[in-house]
Amino acid sequence: MDSLHAIGFYVSSGVLLIGALGAALAPARGQRGAALAVSGVGLAGVYVSLSAGFAGAIALVCYAGCAFMVAGPRYRVVETVAGTMWRQLGAVGAAALLAALVYSALRADFVRANFTGGAFDARAVARLLLAHDVVATQAVALLGVAAIAGAAVAWRSRDRAR
Amino acid sequence: MAIEGPGPVSASLVAVFFVAAGVIAVGAFAAAWRRDLTAAVATIPVMFAGAGVAFAGVARFAAAGGSHLLGQEFAVLLAIAALALVALGLGIAGREGTR
Repeated sequence: MDSLHAIGFYVSSGVLLIGALGAALAPARGQRGAALAVSGVGLAGVYVSLSAGFAGAIALVCYAGCAFMVAGPRYRVVETVAGTMWRQLGAVGAAALLAALVYSALRADFVRANFTGGAFDARAVARLLLAHDVVATQAVALLGVAAIAGAAVAWRSRDRAR
Repeated sequence: MAIEGPGPVSASLVAVFFVAAGVIAVGAFAAAWRRDLTAAVATIPVMFAGAGVAFAGVARFAAAGGSHLLGQEFAVLLAIAALALVALGLGIAGREGTR
């Protein structure tokens, strides 16, 4: 990886982590939506610096959609019934997960290799999505259709009940 | 005697995995820590972002020769799945929750 891509990677990683922290810790839903959009921009930058421009474009659109939904007026609050103890255990588990992932990233022995693909290899990715792994693509498309239809039905049934 | 300047900036798979680990851990922490279930659902894209970064990094630094774009493909599917899951989660929350 050359210096320009490496600098882009580190800067985009910082933007991604700041956005992720904002989405995790911001108190208001508008701030969380904005932070999610920022993390989408950072994620797209990381993908572009990793020569995955097509994935970056898709991520930018999808995370903008997520940010719009989180910050939108249809947002409702659902309080959990889980106790403080369980939430603290979950937070400690997340910290343990970070420690385990960092340990494996440090200790593992990786082989260096050169990347021969282009920066925006949409045709090759499309060949994989639509020819090689078409079942996985169809499964995700089905998930998307079911999610959007389910969300629309849920929202409409609530509006009708009021 | 010439003084050597700093070497070129570079990033490796380890750096990619560090970023991925940090993003996944932030998402998992928020999902566990948030009392509001809807806010916890909104952290799904954060965790998926970390996984996507790891997959794209493996595709970028794969050592098997040629361009193996399976990781990029999976990153694309993860982004779409994150959008779908957030839509479904917020839809269900909109049915059950209060303003």
